[in-house]
Amino acid sequence: MASKKLRRTGVSAELCERLKRHQLETCQDVLSTTPVELMRLAGLSHPAALDLLQLLSKACAPAVSSAWDLWRKKGELCFSTSLPALDRLLRGGLPRGALTEVTGPSGCGKTQLCIMLSVLATLPRSMGGLDSGVIFIDTESAFSAERLVEMAQARFPEFFSVKERLLEMASRVHLFRELTCQDVLNRLEHLEEDIIACRAGLVILDSVASVVRKEFDTSLPGNLTFRSNLLGQEAGVLKYLSQAFCIPVVLTNQITTHVSEKVHCAQWNQADVSKEEDSGFVTAALGNTWSHSVNTRLIVQYEDTERRQIVIAKSPVAPFAMLSYTVQKEGIRLEGNENPESVLNQGTDPGLQPIRFNSQCRPLSEDNDV
Amino acid sequence: MHRTVPSLPLAPSVKVKLINAGFQVASDLTDMRPLQLCKEAGISQEEAVEVLQMLRDDGQPHQQRAATESLTALDLLHQEQALGSIVTFCSALDNALGGGVPVGKTTEICGAPGVGKTQLCMQLAVDVQIPVCFGGLGGKALYIDTEGSFLVQRVVDMADAAVQHCTLLAEDTEQRQALEELTVEKILSNLFLVRCHDYVELLAEVYLLPDFISEHPEVRLVVIDSIAFPFRHDFEDLSQRTRLLNGLAQQLIQLATQHSLAVVLTNQMTTRVSNGQSKLVPALGESWGHAATQRLILHWEGLRRLASLYKSPSQMEATIQYQITVQGFRDAPEEPRPTSSSSAVSSPSENHSKRPRMEDLS
Repeated sequence: MASKKLRRTGVSAELCERLKRHQLETCQDVLSTTPVELMRLAGLSHPAALDLLQLLSKACAPAVSSAWDLWRKKGELCFSTSLPALDRLLRGGLPRGALTEVTGPSGCGKTQLCIMLSVLATLPRSMGGLDSGVIFIDTESAFSAERLVEMAQARFPEFFSVKERLLEMASRVHLFRELTCQDVLNRLEHLEEDIIACRAGLVILDSVASVVRKEFDTSLPGNLTFRSNLLGQEAGVLKYLSQAFCIPVVLTNQITTHVSEKVHCAQWNQADVSKEEDSGFVTAALGNTWSHSVNTRLIVQYEDTERRQIVIAKSPVAPFAMLSYTVQKEGIRLEGNENPESVLNQGTDPGLQPIRFNSQCRPLSEDNDV
Repeated sequence: MHRTVPSLPLAPSVKVKLINAGFQVASDLTDMRPLQLCKEAGISQEEAVEVLQMLRDDGQPHQQRAATESLTALDLLHQEQALGSIVTFCSALDNALGGGVPVGKTTEICGAPGVGKTQLCMQLAVDVQIPVCFGGLGGKALYIDTEGSFLVQRVVDMADAAVQHCTLLAEDTEQRQALEELTVEKILSNLFLVRCHDYVELLAEVYLLPDFISEHPEVRLVVIDSIAFPFRHDFEDLSQRTRLLNGLAQQLIQLATQHSLAVVLTNQMTTRVSNGQSKLVPALGESWGHAATQRLILHWEGLRRLASLYKSPSQMEATIQYQITVQGFRDAPEEPRPTSSSSAVSSPSENHSKRPRMEDLS
């Protein structure tokens, strides 16, 4: 690991002392210098500096495996969402070891989806679950334990007819309420220990956007970069944890208005397009850099007053596709997908994918900042 | 040799002592003996021996080295033709690149999120393994993943499609024999994978690459996907970042030329605001733009995916359309409207193998 102290890597004690005088104590410090700088700071010849860098590289470099090793552990690649059409498109389910983002307007079902995934993770493997705990980091106080129990009973009535199982399921979901950016960061710093203690197989952060947007006014200079860096750090920590423990990480995001020219969108019919204002459209929040950081992006949006749609906007394995669903007592139910509208081999920039919010029925409560 | 003492690759303390003892130029030192040097300069005996050995290695053979290292352009032409390139299975892109992603050079792929950078990298990691008798390089691949987007199910799809493609093309016994060994399992086993979580691990991995390649000389492709992510959020000191990236770029170019492999890097896009207009430009700064030999920018235009060859020493700028199918990275279906200025007009691909180029059957 990068923070390995030099004296544990086999570097001579005398050299360690020399480097310490220049504040170079860990592998990260030394590897962040160029060979010429290292020559000057450590008083080494060029070949000796290169040897030192090689030695430290061997101490920190990750191991090399092969794609075949990965493929052999087929059963551990995905977390099934219990929605067959979605699982099929995602080649098994949500990827374990990567970040999945669910974004969309409020009230569309993001938190419902998170609660549903929490129930699924606690199920035994024979039922498609991970037989593990769940860490739910809630920044909007939107998690409802009653809803969790109601969903479990409605989705798996026979399994949860035994009251003990219900209680056990509820005790496996660990809720952390964090209300500021600093709290979230602190929680992420210690998440490794929490994951081990809770035996977690799923980490949910609902939502990434709310704390960040509350605290950073992006119209002030410098704030945008600071916010980007913060989000990048969060993404880095979560990716490391998800890969190290081989667990899926689900994040939720909000929407924002993108002010620019109209974007052509194949899946909206002409009637809708003419209704949209020319001045902008609604899309996922947190910007372009964040769109790079998440591995999979699922957008939930309104289709009409009754139905919603889940759109696979970015995925390393799935094509661009849309599935209709409704939110019921048992959570998300896919329906109306007999003629799949999946627009294969197309798509558009997942950071600019227009999202349909139903402004007639629900007032928009998001602010108009990025 | 007219090298001055300060420019020698010695430890700074040794150099200071030599200069204080009056040695200004390397030729002052050539006739010295270790004990004499030790007494005059006040350095230890081992240091004196090191200094003299270093001078001896650099001195005499320098003249000879200068003669052997100069190549004629004709030699270089033969070398480049022999190196070959890696097909992408999108014939329009292959044509624009002059045959495919070139071996012996670094290629950078920039693009907006979701446009297909990882897909192209995975496709190349499969295509490099196509046997020589089918027009490929028959080599192995090393995939350095810093983002976590490498999902093996997708590679299995692409490997399957590649094997089927070759099966349809097999004409003679040599090809059929090669086909028997070309299985999805073998393709996956020859695809080495490293997962780096931060820039330190990435730097460490690149320092160790020469050793790795020496142990696995059949590796012909090194992919770093992406080089941007670990460098974009951990740095307050941007000048340090630039220094590290430059060092990285140099090491990779050296690797590509010395070991005859293709190095592919992916980069992200960042928003640059100028005059109230915001544009997407490749990330990592202006100076990084000079790092790679070739630069390919993938972008969305409405619903279409386009690839633009933005910088290349040998090919013309071109923009072509491509698509991502179940089988991988492919040509876009034919459309009547003209795409851009100089799409497929660039030079016909060089035939580097003994078999004719594969036709794209998608």
